[in-house]
Amino acid sequence: MSEIKTFLALFDEIDPAVAAIDRLREQGVKDDQMNVISGIPLTDHILGRPRIWSNVPRLALGGAVAGMLFGIFLAAGITNLYPLKIGGQGLVNGAPTVVLLFEMTMLGLLASTFIGVFLDSTFPSYRPKEYIADISDGKIAILYSIQEEKVSEVENMLNSLGAQSITPSERQPL
Amino acid sequence: MVATAEPLKQAHTVGAEDPHEHLMLDPKPRGEMNGMVMDAMHTTSWKFWVVAVFLGLIVLTCLLISWGYLIAEGLGVAGVNRPSFWGIFLVNTVYWIGISHAGTFVSALLRVMKAEFRRPFTRAAELMTTFGLIQAGFSIFMHMGRVWLAYWLFPYPNVRTLWPNFHSPLGWDFLAINTYLMASTMYLFLPLIPDLAMARDRSTGWRKVFYRILSLGFRGTEGEWTHLRTGMTIFAWAIIPVMFSVHTIVAWDFAAATRPGWSSTIFGPYFVIGALQSGIAAVGMVVVLIRATMKNMKYFIRPEHLDALGKLMLIVSMIWAYFFFNDYLVQWYGGDKFTQMLLEFHEKGPMGWMWFGMLICNVAIPFLTLWNKKIRRNPSMLFTIGLLINVGMWFERYIIIPVSLTINRMPFTWKLYFPRIEILLSIGTLAFFVLIYMIASRLIPLVPVWEVQEGQLAHGLRKVGKAEVKTVSEIE
Repeated sequence: MSEIKTFLALFDEIDPAVAAIDRLREQGVKDDQMNVISGIPLTDHILGRPRIWSNVPRLALGGAVAGMLFGIFLAAGITNLYPLKIGGQGLVNGAPTVVLLFEMTMLGLLASTFIGVFLDSTFPSYRPKEYIADISDGKIAILYSIQEEKVSEVENMLNSLGAQSITPSERQPL
Repeated sequence: MVATAEPLKQAHTVGAEDPHEHLMLDPKPRGEMNGMVMDAMHTTSWKFWVVAVFLGLIVLTCLLISWGYLIAEGLGVAGVNRPSFWGIFLVNTVYWIGISHAGTFVSALLRVMKAEFRRPFTRAAELMTTFGLIQAGFSIFMHMGRVWLAYWLFPYPNVRTLWPNFHSPLGWDFLAINTYLMASTMYLFLPLIPDLAMARDRSTGWRKVFYRILSLGFRGTEGEWTHLRTGMTIFAWAIIPVMFSVHTIVAWDFAAATRPGWSSTIFGPYFVIGALQSGIAAVGMVVVLIRATMKNMKYFIRPEHLDALGKLMLIVSMIWAYFFFNDYLVQWYGGDKFTQMLLEFHEKGPMGWMWFGMLICNVAIPFLTLWNKKIRRNPSMLFTIGLLINVGMWFERYIIIPVSLTINRMPFTWKLYFPRIEILLSIGTLAFFVLIYMIASRLIPLVPVWEVQEGQLAHGLRKVGKAEVKTVSEIE
């Protein structure tokens, strides 16, 4: 079996990059063998790429539930652990409990959303990666892996679509 | 009617507004915009350093040394005393929390509403949130006096076998303010990551290391953008009720007490709108200052943005006036003897000038000026109006707290509050806010370039009949 090689093709505009993705697919490059790197968020609809699943909403929901449980602990748990009896008032009261539950639920939701972005994106990650600084200057890069015998054919195709450069992918410190 | 999209370069209709006046319709290559923002961060004139050193000296004397003196000598060196145990420290706490509301309002609410004018100045507003909350925290610690016992506020089973009582509004305050501080800091950081990566790619030396660490290895892959956008959307929705809750709970610190002038059912929304009033005015001031003092910022921040902020200031001012009158009328109509005395004291007492000043700054000035487009688009005018609104809102908090505490249901305790060391400490916190903002402006890209480029990609001109109208595509 021939060797798989990875390249980084750089485009100036979105349209040729999208066309290149379609043509790469025609050349047998599967969607999981491609990645688009860009300086602005380009949705899967724009790129014609499969939708990327994000765990962030589920983690956020989990965090909200955990936060609410902590709120219940603060409002009801500690008042029973360390009871402070005030004449005529219950240990756990409705309105103050709502305030605590709201704040702790929201804190749990937001903190776990933040952590969720880190987990899903595997941040922080300071290892060398395939990247070109031009991307943050507005270029769109397609990182693709292809069999060795198709390299020149694909390169010609990408050049015909207006690729600014096609370079063997090299991991480098960011 | 058939509408066809036309390229932006086509000449606009004679007599109509020049589309290039709008940032979103006047795009530049991304690399050039990146360069402009980096240039703005790197260019520091001698004036910057003179101001920074001056502010540093104020922080040293008015904040650090004065606070040290307060800690060493105790709260006796402050003006707080019976009956006004809450003085300027809490005025400043409420004021700075109010300032912090603007960041979230401008950024999150306008993001949710897809208000396009927000794009170039969301970060400038978000920074105000975090830095404003730091000043609010300082003010609370000053008010405590014995700051080394601040940990008593934390929920832990201490030697008194008594946890802080979460049934108290002050306990809710602790949780709400800390929730908001953490949430707003995270909300500041998430959209900053791509800009930090951009700065990393264009930096050398210590700045490269700094941005490399903070950008967390961000490249801009499809997955990274998806997770980031998802996170930002959740934040934008969820942080809005948190923002509302914070100042509502601050209001409950007052409203839950059965004191004349404080016991009001609308204090929550009244405080929230007051916070937005001062916060948005402060954003207007900061935006004008950034535009005037930082290189290349005239490209990003244009009269259209000042105009939009001016309109917001006017609308919020109207809502504030509505709530103020609502609160005033009901208290006046209630006929409670001490409340009547308090209202009379506000208007005719020794601090009456402040009460009228509050109304002039918060109502008369915005109403009489901000309806005018030319005034809204004039940086100096907008800055001045923003400054006056902030003075008015500070007056409002001063009237609500120490002035209102003067009149209570025990006339033998009535005594007007005179601040002492609090004045120095207030100047110190203000200087510290400006100083850390100035330093941050040289370290953090103040304009979210990727958001601006995204907006420019979404905007275009569409020909409708003989007119060319601005259109926005839903690309998010």
